[in-house]
Amino acid sequence: MTAKSEGRKALAMAAAIGLGLTFGGQAAIAQSGDAARVKALKERIAELNEQARHVEDINQIHRLQRAYGYYIDKGFWGEASDLFDDDATLEVGVDGVYKGKAHIHKYLVTQGGGHEGPGLEWGQLNMHMQLQPVITVAKDGKTAKGRWRDFSLLGKYHVSAHWGDAEMENSYIKEDGVWKIKSMHVYTNFIAPYEGGWAKLEPVESKTGWVSETGKAFPADAKPTVTYKPFPNVFVPPFHYKAGRIAAIQAPAPMEMPDRPDDAIGKMEAAADVQELKLDTLYSERAIENLQAIYGFYIDKGMWDEAAALFTKDATYEFGQRGVYKGQKRVRDALTLMGKEGLEEGQLNNYPMLQPIISVAPDNKTAKARWRSDVQLSKDGKGKWGAGVYENEYVNVDGTWKLSKLHYYVTMWANYDTGWYKDALPMEPASTDNPPDAPPTMVYEALPKMVIFPYHYNHPVTGKPWSGE
Amino acid sequence: MLRRLLILGPVILGVCMGGGAAAHPDDLADVQASLEALTDRVERIQDYSDVEKLPRYYSYYVDKAQWRSVADLFTEDGTLEIGGRGIFVGRERAYEYLVVGLGPIGPRDGIIIDHQNLDPLTTLHDDGTAEVRATAFVMGLTGWGHVYYENDYVKEDGIWKIKKLHGPFNMYASYKTGWIDDVIINTYPEKFPPPPDLPPSVIYLTYPSYYAEPFHYPNPVTGKPMPKPDPAAGALDYGKEDAQ
Repeated sequence: MTAKSEGRKALAMAAAIGLGLTFGGQAAIAQSGDAARVKALKERIAELNEQARHVEDINQIHRLQRAYGYYIDKGFWGEASDLFDDDATLEVGVDGVYKGKAHIHKYLVTQGGGHEGPGLEWGQLNMHMQLQPVITVAKDGKTAKGRWRDFSLLGKYHVSAHWGDAEMENSYIKEDGVWKIKSMHVYTNFIAPYEGGWAKLEPVESKTGWVSETGKAFPADAKPTVTYKPFPNVFVPPFHYKAGRIAAIQAPAPMEMPDRPDDAIGKMEAAADVQELKLDTLYSERAIENLQAIYGFYIDKGMWDEAAALFTKDATYEFGQRGVYKGQKRVRDALTLMGKEGLEEGQLNNYPMLQPIISVAPDNKTAKARWRSDVQLSKDGKGKWGAGVYENEYVNVDGTWKLSKLHYYVTMWANYDTGWYKDALPMEPASTDNPPDAPPTMVYEALPKMVIFPYHYNHPVTGKPWSGE
Repeated sequence: MLRRLLILGPVILGVCMGGGAAAHPDDLADVQASLEALTDRVERIQDYSDVEKLPRYYSYYVDKAQWRSVADLFTEDGTLEIGGRGIFVGRERAYEYLVVGLGPIGPRDGIIIDHQNLDPLTTLHDDGTAEVRATAFVMGLTGWGHVYYENDYVKEDGIWKIKKLHGPFNMYASYKTGWIDDVIINTYPEKFPPPPDLPPSVIYLTYPSYYAEPFHYPNPVTGKPMPKPDPAAGALDYGKEDAQ
């Protein structure tokens, strides 16, 4: 029950009591009303504690998954497998399903080189960054699901070096107040040699034939639940959320602060209102983090309709020096500048959504956020790196957060083979067959020019606007 | 709503005939206590959000060599230790490391130093301090960098600040062949001015050698502290027939 509905109920109650009473006067009404107000306040505080628990759950799941990444980075296989539930499952690529903590532990040891550790072989690199989470916690707070991006740097000094890219769809369970991993499904997209990169990968012949060395050395307990071909084939790992009404981007709708009576209970009601609004903004911060991640996962796979649906009707979209596209329909048009819907075989369109600074307005109605991306592209056999910064805006549309402005500032583009040191590529100008509605809001050049992109926030410690130094 | 009225009916009559108060003082005290507990809980969630963002603010400023903005994230007695350069004690010495050691304030054409600050694992303590383990994945200069952070934060007058910035390099490599061959070794105190105030807190070798920057947190599930890595992990077991 929100403050709004609770206020209305209290008024209705008071009116009903007033009608039924023929003697006893105002004192009696006030005292009876007090009991109801106190009861309502108790219920509201209980609900707000549930809401707080929801935000804490998301935070703890973030910690859990990130702890997994940090453990396997350095060969702490036992510590990593301890993060799983006793009868959890692990599935990687098309290796099959590994059931139970003991088998998960053995898979991690095998994948890491076969040594119990903790530790790695001299010269071994096994960095696995756990990025871009979309976390959906069930209403009862007992289970949750998460979509993540696993970006990895792999290798052995003087032997090999690889980039790894995967999306994960994981599930979590809370036991005795502690979150654990219930299932981890790593949809490997590619493991590409550093030399040549992802653009030079050859297609695999069969959906089941590309079992990893780990899968061959330690066969799974069950066949894979999903078979697919990795990049250069464009495969979309299933989402735990359906386009339409996505739970992960819901948050409390903006609330009007009610006038509270100037008595002891009224002071507590007003204090509860303040906490409710604060908590709403913290809840919204996580919803926006989910929203931008969801957007990114759609863009990765050319899902332009689903991505455009995340914007408000009068949203704007600006990318590099391509100009401004105004309105949701035009946002949809702008997305096709990246390629065909659904992309094409061999096309990589990875725009990781990283390093968010989300600033929700104190009234929980709007927000701004800065993000960055290390972009991985591939088209027609040519790979590219990109880097840039987003400064986006969002609106709380009656309890659903949506993008109202997307602005991607390009820091750099470079060909994969030659890098950015001397041969950085210029930005593309406005399209002529799909032109924008307005020119760029800021004219600038990418590397070799270096530009500071405006910050939406003041300095977090001094509180002052950006000083230029 | 009608049901509530019927329940309250006898209470109303009781009041009118001089019966007990409808809102018991103990009830009010209970509500006050639970309101205070909720306020603390919300503040902790706000603290978590504030602390988690600090490494991100740091890196967005570093990207464009905004050294004053970076230094102003520290407490007055905060410390900075990056790579193997030793420890700089105090905000102004941290500023000196940046502006003397890394170059003038402001971005320089032709030079990219993008520090992507990722993967923060945030732990709040009960005493107004916090710790974060994070990763910097660097697209810079002539290649790649991978840096761990194990930072300490403190809340001073309601504002979270950096108490200790500890960013040991994990792997640096040039672009041409990456980490297969083209590695760059750690920095060291005398590598470039200014000199530090204290020697490095730990002497270690970067990739291709193995070093695990200790985790500030116990295992989130078991609660156990990090075990010591096995120095022989991966080494050949000479003479053992079942060696892998």
